[in-house]
Amino acid sequence: MNYLLPERLDRLAREYALGTLAGPARRRFERLLRQTPVAKLAVGAWQERLAGLAGTVPAMQPSESVWRALEQRLFTSRAAPEGPLQWLRGLLSARALGGVLAGAFVCALLLRLQPGLIGMEPQSEVLPQSYVGLLLDAAGKPTVLASSKRHGRVMTVKLLQPVDIPAGSVAQLWALPADGSAAFPVGVVPGSGTASVALADTSEKLFFKVSRLAVSIEAAPAKPGDKPSRDFVLSGHCVKLW
Amino acid sequence: MPTNEDLAALLPRVALGDRAAFAQVYRATCAHLLGLAFRILNNRERAEEVLQEAFVNVWHSAGGFNASVASPMTWLINIVRNKAIDALRSGKAERASTFALDEDALAVAADEAQQPQALLDESLTRLRINGCMGELGASQRQALALAYYRGMVHTEIADALRVPLGTAKAWVRRGLDKLRACLEAAGLRPDPLT
Repeated sequence: MNYLLPERLDRLAREYALGTLAGPARRRFERLLRQTPVAKLAVGAWQERLAGLAGTVPAMQPSESVWRALEQRLFTSRAAPEGPLQWLRGLLSARALGGVLAGAFVCALLLRLQPGLIGMEPQSEVLPQSYVGLLLDAAGKPTVLASSKRHGRVMTVKLLQPVDIPAGSVAQLWALPADGSAAFPVGVVPGSGTASVALADTSEKLFFKVSRLAVSIEAAPAKPGDKPSRDFVLSGHCVKLW
Repeated sequence: MPTNEDLAALLPRVALGDRAAFAQVYRATCAHLLGLAFRILNNRERAEEVLQEAFVNVWHSAGGFNASVASPMTWLINIVRNKAIDALRSGKAERASTFALDEDALAVAADEAQQPQALLDESLTRLRINGCMGELGASQRQALALAYYRGMVHTEIADALRVPLGTAKAWVRRGLDKLRACLEAAGLRPDPLT
């Protein structure tokens, strides 16, 4: 059925706004509403018209327990009074200041959609303090998402598209300090899928001064003190997510 | 009642995690919103549960508030009404599975048919479209009132007003058509789609 024929849309929008649209039809229309701006506008217009009818309903003061329950549900077991978008706004303003590229934005969204990527507790709505890197290939396509908790010793790596690793070689991940000093090896990443890379120290100690991450194809996993022997095939910013 | 301007300034702060702004929105609107939920659910405890759920939703989705689509109060009313309507209908489904006959609910629906009508008439007077809406029959206004204030669906309106389903549907449709026409004639709510 084409829901978007103007007459049909208006009929559904007003029945939805009024409440007479019921059962599975109501659920179907709610799905359409999430995806279709024109449907949202049609419903919005009817809600605005009907809102004029709400003003005469006698007010009724809720008991104080409603507010206490809200505070308990929303604000306890949190270190900071953070809203759902605070981290995103922070990131956006950081971008506006010229600090971080679009990669940070993309990877933050990915993390929000798949919080398990960095082992985030499912009950928490707030992203933990983490280091996050999004590495792009030569064409600028996001390829590796790397993340680790600020005080953790494991980096989770996810391949967003496969990387071609010739037989007998490894994809070596490097950290590049902001002050231009020599890159140091972090670990080996797989050609596809996800992996957990054990770190030599906590992320905070390793990445505090690191501004970029990069991957080169090496003949063998690099040891401490080794330097990249080939050009980087992937690289991207490393950002602090807090 | 806070102005829409006050709320329009507060909601973006809520989206940024400002608890004080959230508390202000709650304090300013909770009594009005609970009144709406109570009209639909006819049960204070369930209405308070709906209010709580609605404000959890407000905290999490304040970033989705778009002033160009709806005024803040309309946005809040809409969250509460939708939750109340869902709670009303899921509650009915639960009761239907536990009791063979739910005469109480039908009795309440019939008794209270007058009260929504009074709320509607008062609203229309405030909006200064009572003359225009007066061109509708009393039954058509009553059908609209039962749907809006009591969250009734067409079959329940037909039962409450003791008319066939088709008649109840037609009354609601005409009630909404007339409401739109009267509001537009009064220059109150331009339609964003036209």
